Amino acid sequence: MRRKERSAAACGCMRQKICERRSAQREMTLAELPVGTSATILKVMPHWRGRKKFADVGIVPGTELLMEAHAPFGGLMRVRVMETSMALHRDDAAHVMMRRMEAAE
Amino acid sequence: MKKCFTIVLAGNPNCGKTSIFNALTGARQHVGNYPGVTVESKIGRFSLNGTEILLIDLPGIYSLSSSSPEEEVAFRELTKPGVDLILNVVDSTIPRRSLYLTTQLAELHIPMLLAFNMSDDADRKGLKFDLPKLERCFGFPAVRTVGCRSGGIGQLLDALGTALKKTESRTAPALSYGADIDASIGKIANAIAPLAPERFRHIPARFFAVKLLEHDACVRNLPEFRSVHPLVGNEIRHLLEKHAIDTDTFMADRRYAILAGACRNAIGMTGERRREISDKIDAVMTSRYIGLPLFFLIMYATFWLTFTCAEPLMGIIEEVFAALAGGVKMLWPETTLPYLRSLLADGVIGGVGGVLVFLPNILFLFLAIAILEDSGYMARAAFVMDGVMRRFGLQGRSFVPLVLGFGCTVPAIMATRCIESERDRKTTIMVLPLMSCGARLPIYALIIPAFFAAEYQAFVMWLIYLIGVGIALIAARIMKATLFKGDGEIYLMELPPYRMPTLRSLLLHMWDRAGMYVRKAGTIILATSILLFICNTWPEKTAFSKDYDKAAQLVNGNPALSGDARENALSALENEKQAELMEYTISGRIGHALEPLFRPIGFDWKLTTASIGALAAKEVFVSQLGILYAEGEADEDSVPLREQLIRNYTPLQAFCIMLFCLLSIPCFATLAIMRRELNSWKLTAAVAAGMFLLAYLVTFLVYQAGSLCGIGTALAG
Repeated sequence: MRRKERSAAACGCMRQKICERRSAQREMTLAELPVGTSATILKVMPHWRGRKKFADVGIVPGTELLMEAHAPFGGLMRVRVMETSMALHRDDAAHVMMRRMEAAE
Repeated sequence: MKKCFTIVLAGNPNCGKTSIFNALTGARQHVGNYPGVTVESKIGRFSLNGTEILLIDLPGIYSLSSSSPEEEVAFRELTKPGVDLILNVVDSTIPRRSLYLTTQLAELHIPMLLAFNMSDDADRKGLKFDLPKLERCFGFPAVRTVGCRSGGIGQLLDALGTALKKTESRTAPALSYGADIDASIGKIANAIAPLAPERFRHIPARFFAVKLLEHDACVRNLPEFRSVHPLVGNEIRHLLEKHAIDTDTFMADRRYAILAGACRNAIGMTGERRREISDKIDAVMTSRYIGLPLFFLIMYATFWLTFTCAEPLMGIIEEVFAALAGGVKMLWPETTLPYLRSLLADGVIGGVGGVLVFLPNILFLFLAIAILEDSGYMARAAFVMDGVMRRFGLQGRSFVPLVLGFGCTVPAIMATRCIESERDRKTTIMVLPLMSCGARLPIYALIIPAFFAAEYQAFVMWLIYLIGVGIALIAARIMKATLFKGDGEIYLMELPPYRMPTLRSLLLHMWDRAGMYVRKAGTIILATSILLFICNTWPEKTAFSKDYDKAAQLVNGNPALSGDARENALSALENEKQAELMEYTISGRIGHALEPLFRPIGFDWKLTTASIGALAAKEVFVSQLGILYAEGEADEDSVPLREQLIRNYTPLQAFCIMLFCLLSIPCFATLAIMRRELNSWKLTAAVAAGMFLLAYLVTFLVYQAGSLCGIGTALAG
C-alpha cells in the first residue's frame, strides 16, 4: 500500500484513481471522506496531541460524521458532528479513522 | 441570606450565553481582559430581590480540559473560592454536546442551575424535554429559556432566586465511569485529599483525580499534587494494560455514553427537521467556487457602509469642533493667559477633535461587524479565507482585521478579538500597523503629485501599499517561525446556525466599542496633543534673526504694493517667523539633534522633526512640515509646500519619506490599543522598536542603493 501511494504521488492521475478505489473501501481517514457522505468513527490515532480536543466536541469512536464541504484552496473541511457544523483542518482530520456504513457504489 | 452572590455563567461557544448575560445585566457590565492572556473577561452586576449579584461571563468552552487559553481561564475562574452558583447555559437544540460540559461542571460540586436556552428553536425542531427527569439525572434544577429575547428572562430570575436560597447544600450524584476506572479515581482521590491546598478546599478531591487521570495540563501543573504523579502514572498504565482503556479519551467517551443514556430517557425527538435553512444558506456561502467571491462582495458592502455612510456625520463632527475652537478663541480674549488659550483651542480641541472625527467610522464599522458576527457569517468568512491566509502563517479570521487596517489601525486591532488562537491573534496585531492606514494617505497625497509624473502616480501609490502588505505578510511568517514557534492549537471552529441578529445585541456591541474608542480619545490622545503642543511651542524665541514687526510695518507702509500683494508679503513674513519659532522649540531642537542619525536615510532636520510629530498621528507629518517650511498650516493640497519640497528634495528622498512613514513606529493611539490588546508592555515596546529598525533599515538600503545607482537623485525642480 505504501509503495502504491508513493508512486501515486508521482502521478496525479494515478493518485485520483487510488483515492477512488480507497473511498470504495470501508475504511479511510476522515480527510479522505468524500463530500456528502457519512461514516462512523472507528478510532482516533493514539498519541496524537489533538485527540482530547476532538474528543471534547464529540469526535470519539462510534460517532457518525457527515462531510459537508471543503473550503476553497485546500485546508479546511466542514464536518457535521452531533448536529453541529465543525470546521477542521485536513491534516488533523487525517488522524481520525472512519468506517463507512455501507460500501459505496 | 448573604448580601452579595457570585454567579458564574458557563456554556459552549454560540449557546446564547452572551444574550442571557446581556439580558440579566443590561448595560451594567465591564469588559476587560484576563491577566496574561487575550481572553476577554466580562463582569456584570444586577440585583435580584434586593440582593446584589455579581455575574461573571466565562468564555465559551466545550470542556474543562485546559486545551486552550479559554478553557484555562474558565478552569481558574470556576475553581476560585467564593463562587456561589454556576449558571450553565445549554443549547437545547444540540443537547448532547451542550450537556457534555455539564457533566464536568457537576463534578465541581458547586450549586448549579441549568438553563435550557433557545428552547423555542428546539420546539421547532421537535425536541421534547422532560425537565424533571433531567433534574433528577444531574441533581441540579433546570429551567427553559429563550435567550435572544429578554422576554423569557422572568422564569430564569425566579429559578435563580430559588437556587440561591439552597446554595448551602453542596451535593450531586457522582458520575460513574465504570467499576475499574472508578476504583482508580477513588485511589487517587484518597491520595490527594490531604494535599489539597486551602484555596481548593471547597472542590472535591475526586474532581482533581479525574483531571489527573485525563492528563489535564492545568491540574498536572499544580505543585501541590506533584507527589501523586507516580501513582497516577501507575493507574494509567494499569488501566491501559489490564483493561485496554486509554484514559485520555476514555473519559470523554464515557461522558458521551452517559449523556446518550440520559438523553434517550429525558429528551424525545418528534420529527427530524434539522437546520435545513441554515444548511441551504451554507451550501452557497461556503461553496468551493462562489464562497470567496461572495465573501469579497460582503467585505465591500462593509467598507461601503463604514466609509460612505459615515462621511456626512464626520463632516458634522469636524464642523462642531471647528466651531468649538473658534468659540473659545472668540470668548477668551487674546491678552489673558495666551498660552492656555491656544493650548485649549489648538492643542486640546484640535487634537481630540481630530480623533473623534473617526467616531462615525467606528460606529458603522462595528455595526457591520456585529451583524456579521451575530448572524454567524463571520465563522463562514474565516472558513473560506483560511486556505489563503494559512500560506502566510495566519488564519482565516485574520483577514477582516488586516483589511480594516487600511482604514485605521485602532479599530482593526480591536476587531482581532474574533481570532480565537492566541498566537494568531498576537501575530495579526503585531503586523497590523504595516497595513497603510488612512492617516498616512495625506502624506502620500502631498508627496506623490510633487515628485512623480502623472502616469506613474497611481503606480507609486500602489507600490507603497504593496510594500506594506508584502512586509506584513513576510513579518507574519517570520514571527510564526520564531517568536510564536511550535505547533499551533488544533484548529476546531464551530459554524453556528445562521440567526437573525437582535437589535439589542447589535446596539450593545456598538456601544461597547464606541465607548472604548471615546475613552481612548479622552486619555491618550488628549495627553499626546498637549505634549505635542508644548513641544511645538516652547521655548519661545524672543530674539529673531530680523525684526519682523518692523518688516511688517515697512510692507504696510509701502505704497507701491497693491492689496493682494501686501497680503501675500505679510503672510510670507508671518510664516517665516513661525518657521524660526518652530526651529527654536523642543521639537525643532530634537530634530536638529537627531539629524546625524537620519542623514543616512536622506532626512534633514525638518523631516526628522516632522517624523516626531507623526508619532501623535501620521497626518501630523504634513502639517508639521508645513510649519517648518513656513507655509503656515498646510494640508495635502498645499501647492506652495509642494514647490518648497521640489526645491529641496530629490524624488529618491521623497520616496524614502513615504517608505519611512509607512514602516515606522505607529501613532501613539495604535501603541496604546496594542498594549491593551496584547496585554503586554514588552511586546508593544518590541513592536515599536522593531518597526523603527525595519523602517530605518529599509529606507537606508533604498536611499543608499538609489544614491549609488543614481536613480532619482536629481532635484526635480
